[in-house]
Amino acid sequence: MDSAVLEASLYTVKAIAILDNDGERVVAKYYDDTYQTTKEQKEFEKNLFNKTHRANAEIIMLDGLTCVYRSNVDLFFYVMGSSNENELILVSVLNAFYDAISQLLRKNVEKRGLMDNLDGVVSILDEIVDGGVILESDASSILQRVAIKSDDVPITEQTVAQVLQTAKDQLKWSLLK
Amino acid sequence: MQYLRRDKKDEEDGSQSNPFQNLDKSAVLQEARTFNETPINPRKCIHILTKILYVLNQGQHLGTTEATEAFFAMTKLFQSKDVMLRRMVYLAIKELANIAEDVIIVTSSLTKDMTGKEDMYRASAIRALCKITDSTMLQGIERYLKQAIVDKNASVSSASLVSALHLMKPNYDVVKRWVNEAQEAVSSDNTMVQYHALGLLYHVKKTDRLAVSKLIFKYIKQSLRSPYAVCMLIRIASKYLDEEPEVVDTPVYDFLESCLRHKSEMVIYEAARALVNLKNLKSRDLCPAISVLQLFLSSPRPTLRFAAVRTLNKVAMTQPMSVTTCNLDLENLITDVNRSIATLAITTLLKTGNEGSVDRL
Repeated sequence: MDSAVLEASLYTVKAIAILDNDGERVVAKYYDDTYQTTKEQKEFEKNLFNKTHRANAEIIMLDGLTCVYRSNVDLFFYVMGSSNENELILVSVLNAFYDAISQLLRKNVEKRGLMDNLDGVVSILDEIVDGGVILESDASSILQRVAIKSDDVPITEQTVAQVLQTAKDQLKWSLLK
Repeated sequence: MQYLRRDKKDEEDGSQSNPFQNLDKSAVLQEARTFNETPINPRKCIHILTKILYVLNQGQHLGTTEATEAFFAMTKLFQSKDVMLRRMVYLAIKELANIAEDVIIVTSSLTKDMTGKEDMYRASAIRALCKITDSTMLQGIERYLKQAIVDKNASVSSASLVSALHLMKPNYDVVKRWVNEAQEAVSSDNTMVQYHALGLLYHVKKTDRLAVSKLIFKYIKQSLRSPYAVCMLIRIASKYLDEEPEVVDTPVYDFLESCLRHKSEMVIYEAARALVNLKNLKSRDLCPAISVLQLFLSSPRPTLRFAAVRTLNKVAMTQPMSVTTCNLDLENLITDVNRSIATLAITTLLKTGNEGSVDRL
């Protein structure tokens, strides 16, 4: 048996990705040279998507990587680490990522909204992992660092649809409380 | 303004689910010329920067000349005080750092931001700055980075610790001079700062066995607050123990054992895994770790079940007898909805089971 004792390192996350329900990349970030070219990365993503989009299983081993994932409506969130990585640490990163985005999108985690807030999404991604090192794993601290003010659009610049949506959301959440 | 109106129209249509679909690289780079306009329109510029980041993220290749051109246009945006815009600029700097030429042009702007009053800027500026810095320039900013490591603001401190780690490979001799600051940061109240500081210390010292042992003995006595930091320490400690002939009854072993009763599952699992992997441990000493993993086997969370069964599977290869106590729980996992868990459970049982139980499978 090869040495099972892990090398202690801050480099924990190998990749992080969001795919849509066709398995296409929405955003993805690779932190080491496991997959050097875009072509290899996209092949891996396709493979990953095929293995995970039906089974709601939370964790899978693929190509010698441990992949943890979560899905919602039309989006799939993935965090990849080495096969020797502590799976629970990877899940904590995944949860932080998902929760921060969910708060950014005010719980409407779907592709449409995500695309409209892509600047926020890439900023969140940047605050969670830096070059493979977990930078922050608490969703509210992440949002604080990103400085997302959810109401920064003046009311005159909002469309009728947006205003209605905001009103609906607020009503919904006040009722659910 | 015209541009905003067009955006609104798209939204009202509601048909287009991806406003970034089929973006043409050259059209986006063309748009980057807007950065030269005064006054700067932050919303519009943020949108263009987002497009550039999206194009890069999709894996489209940018040539050196076009990247450099976009990069230089972007430097104009430092004139705006908009927080969101500045963040996007930092992000774009980091993405273009390896493609564009003469990126050091933004050094002074970033140094100004990192030493300025606005906390919102400082952490991100440090990270961007370290990305474009080379060995010769590092001397110039070393003083600021050392200060930033012990900064009161957690995000500033974390940013500089993590950046120091990235800088370490080409600049080991510089970074190793920062251990005093890193040591101070380990006692931070912020859990992430503690984790990053301990990690950096270990990365600096890992080739020196004596220094590592000192590090371990120092921090196993002092209880670390961050679960991530404890996991890190467990890993350092188990690697150290693996090279010792006598394991049981040492303070380091006691530390690992005590981590089995930690309140965070992440730490409990890390400790159990470290213990079962120690090569000089007798099978009876495995019991506490095995029973922790056994508990995880019946967790409702798939990840915990997966983690436990995978670790037990490894143990079963060398010490099948120690795993037999878990056979009943393993049999329950054969029908698990997660196929990986089911497969691992079966292969483990094949190693631990006797004739009768294997037949039942």
